[in-house]
Parts: sequence; C-alpha cells; structure tokens
Amino acid sequence: MGSLSVSGVTKVYGVPGAPGAVTALSNLSFEIANHEFCTILGHSGCGKTTLLNMVAGFERATEGTIAVDGTPVGPPGWERSMMFQDYALFPWLTVRDNVMYGPRMKREPKDEARRQADELITLVGLAGFEKHYPHQLSGGMRQRVALARALVVCPRVLLMDEPFAALDSQTRSFMQDELVRIWRHEPKTVMLVTHSIDEAIKLSDRIIVLSSRPGRLKAQIPVDLPRPRDEDHPVYRALKKQLRDMIHEEMEEG
Amino acid sequence: MPHPLRTTTTGPRMEGVAAEVPRPAGQPVPPAVQTAPPPSPAWRRHAGSAGRHLSRYALLVVLIALWQFTSTVWLPAKDPYLAVLMPAPTSIIAATAELVANGDLFMHLFASLKRELSAFVLSLAAIPLGIAMGWWRPVYVQVNPVIEILRPIPPLAWIPLSILWFGLSDMQNQFIILLGIFFPILVNTVTAVRTVDANLIRASRTLGASEWDVLRTVVFKAALPQIITGIRIGLGVGWMALVAAELVGATTGLGFMINDARSILRTDIIVVGMLTIGVMGLLIDLGIRWLGKRLLPWSPALAK
Repeated sequence: MGSLSVSGVTKVYGVPGAPGAVTALSNLSFEIANHEFCTILGHSGCGKTTLLNMVAGFERATEGTIAVDGTPVGPPGWERSMMFQDYALFPWLTVRDNVMYGPRMKREPKDEARRQADELITLVGLAGFEKHYPHQLSGGMRQRVALARALVVCPRVLLMDEPFAALDSQTRSFMQDELVRIWRHEPKTVMLVTHSIDEAIKLSDRIIVLSSRPGRLKAQIPVDLPRPRDEDHPVYRALKKQLRDMIHEEMEEG
Repeated sequence: MPHPLRTTTTGPRMEGVAAEVPRPAGQPVPPAVQTAPPPSPAWRRHAGSAGRHLSRYALLVVLIALWQFTSTVWLPAKDPYLAVLMPAPTSIIAATAELVANGDLFMHLFASLKRELSAFVLSLAAIPLGIAMGWWRPVYVQVNPVIEILRPIPPLAWIPLSILWFGLSDMQNQFIILLGIFFPILVNTVTAVRTVDANLIRASRTLGASEWDVLRTVVFKAALPQIITGIRIGLGVGWMALVAAELVGATTGLGFMINDARSILRTDIIVVGMLTIGVMGLLIDLGIRWLGKRLLPWSPALAK
C-alpha cells in the first residue's frame, strides 16, 4: 500500500505574520492514490522542494497534515525513500553496497540484503557493475544506482527531486523511458518534483501544477495517454501547450 | 533494453578518473582506435630519459662536490678547526657506517619512532572528539574556545612545564609530541564533519538510518579522507616536536643523539642524525599517503 494525502498544508518560514516571514506554501491539499505516478510541476521558487522536504520528513508543516496510508508522517524513513538530483550515492561504497545500504539499515541479514540488491541492480540494467564505485560510472548509470537504492527498501511512497536534471538531454530522455519501464515492472506510488513539462507529461498519471509563491494548487491534470508516450501525439502536444501557458502565466505573476 | 554502455556515456564524471566507461569483468577490451606513434630507436629513448634524470640532480651534485672540496681542501688550508665544524660528505658516509655497525643509529631511531607511535595512538582521541564537535553544535560551542586558546601555543612552549609535571621521562616526551599531533587531527576532523555533503546524510536517513547509523556509516566515512590529511599533518608536526623534546628531555632518540654528539664535537654524527630525521619524516609522510590511497581508493582528494 502507499497512498499519500496532503491536506491544508501551509509552510511559513520565520514567525507567521511577523515582518520577514515568507510563506512558501499556502493551504495545499491533494491526494496521490496507491501506485499512482504523480508529478508536482512548477517553476523555481513555487515551493515544490519545500513540499518534498515535508513529505520526506526533513521539515515540518506550519499547518495542515501530511499522511501516508492515513498515518501522519514522522521523521525520515525508508517508507518514503528519495532520489536526489545529484544522485547522493555514497562514494566509498560500490554499486552493490550502495544498494544494500537500505536493507542493511533495516537490519536484514547480509545474504538477504545482497540478494535483494542484486535483484534491483539487474532490474535497472546494471548487472556486471556491482563492484564499481560511483566515480567510475556515468551520470545516467549513477542515477540508475540511486533508483535501485531507493526501490530496494520497498517504500510506500517514492520521492524524486528533479532526478534527471543533471543529465544531458539524450540521457535524460532515455532515463525517463527506463523509469517508466521499471515503474511498470515494480508499481510504486511516486511523487516526482520537476520544472520540466516534458518530463511531467512523459511520466505521470496526473500532473499537479503549483502557482507562484506562495505555492497553491493551480491545476490537477490527468494524463490519459498510453505508455510509452509519443511526443508527437496530438494530445501530448495540446497538453504541453496548456501546461506551458499555465507556467508562463505564473512566471509573469511571480 | 539497450546496453547501458552505449546509452549513458555522456554524463558528468569526476575529473581525471575513468576516462572510459568501465566494462563489466570478463568482457573483452575493444582494440584502441588510434595507432601509437612509431617507436623511436631504443637507445635514444634510454639516453633521453637517463639524461633527463641526471640533469634534474645537476645542482645537487655540484653542491655536494663543492661541499666536499670546501671541507677537505679549502677549510683545512685556512684553519683545521673550521674543518671540524663542516664535516665532508665522505666523513658523513663513514659516520653512518660506524653508527649502523655499532647499532646506535637504529637504537635511537627506534626510540624516536616508538615515542611518535605511542603519542599518535593517544592522539587518535582527537577523531571522536572532532566528530562530536562537528556534529553536535552545543559540543562545538563549549569546546571550541578551549581549543582556540590551546592550539596556537607551540608544543615547544610546553617543554618547561611538562618537565616539571612529568620529569625527564618518556611520558614528558610523548606529551610534547601528542600536542603536536592532536590539534591538526582535531581541526581537520571538525572541518571534515561540518562539510559532509548534506544530501548524503539526507539519503541515508530516507533509507532508514538512525542518528547513530548516520554518524557511523556516513559522517565518519565521508570525513575519513580529510581525517587522514589531518593525521599526515599531525605526524609531521609531531615529528618536529619530538626531536625538540628529545634535545632537552631524553637519554635516547635522534634528538638526544645529535645533542650528545655536540658535546663531544662529533659534527659528522650530528649531520647523520639530522639527515635521518629528515628522511624518516619524509618516509612517514609517504607511508600515510600510500595507505590513504590504498584504503580509500574512492577518494579523489587522496588520489593526488
């Protein structure tokens, strides 16, 4: 299971009402269903990273509640594992040891952790690279390791913070296809944060558009296209235009 | 699915490492595309590299030759007493042979190394203290003022007080060396812990690591390269402090040996001692670097 509910969430930095206080998010509510791939789309400064940090448990909401399967979220933990833009792989661990890290923290026996890790390494297409260190891998391969590491702990919700932003455009597009392949093989509730419209359309079941600061819910747009998605499909192009206009509007206001 | 090799070769990579995408073990190495330039005749290559090596040490050779001339020809002609103050390279070699043969050199060298080593083991306490200071702000706030007052005092300034505390003993010597090694390790550990990539800590927490797990499996590991740098600096400072401490408060060790030789005007032994101190300091430094590279092959900072 893994449904995420965000209800009435407001985040204020500083003392609310006092001068200098910044409202990052205002009264935000939405739900992500079990095994749904949901993207939070917005331009920089709309509070999407703040939202991700609160879901992960790095920050607390000023008001409102965030719950996974009905239980309010606490400190960070494996049930909300995360992928980072800069991979955040442990450079002193090999690919296999990086992926084994989560199971080891769950106190799985070493053999079991290794078996789980190898299964995920194969799934993300890195079989044969188990003994390499992250600095020996390309950016796309590192992000595969990060995906395997986040998936191996069986999170209820998988969080992604602009995971492909550091990759060049060909690698990024390829990794997006790969993510779709892996996600269909291993369905998970996903909350991905991005400013890339194409990424949002290519990957998501539903796109949540945030307004400029303070971040509010601007629109929720389901994407009803068969996967893998064709960029030249008329529905894809119409959706892209709609989203681009929306983001543009917000940038002019912000 | 396309093979990862073909599709993901364009991502950013750490500088200098892995110019090529690594291959899984067992896969054949593809032939190099470019052909090597035609080899030059073997004799020219050999002569060239030998020539280069010799020319690198030309100044050194000239200086040693000058020194030999000064000590054996020029100074004795002016005043035989001056010649004693400036022992010739040949007499230094002779003195080395003598000290090796009677065992004095190794005896003193091992005495010094033993002091350095035991002080080093004690000063490893700087690592947990540094981690605590770097990780918990209240610890830093309390301890840092104490450190900032003690740190600028040169270890040598502690010699008089330490003699009164410990007497002329191994303990006194080790205390002085400890002061030399301790602070570089501490300062580097604190900095290392404070600059650990925040996302690594966040990643480990979202994978279920407890606070203790984070410290043990992320903070300590990420800080290790700089801790090793601190150890390198510390051992160097400690080695210098050691010799100074032995000059005044010991009956063995290289510092004692050269001071003892002064009282009997054996300048050749003094120079042998000085050179041994220098060479040993260099060897310790190279040894730590080698160990660092071997133990932490992933660290770009130690690869240099």
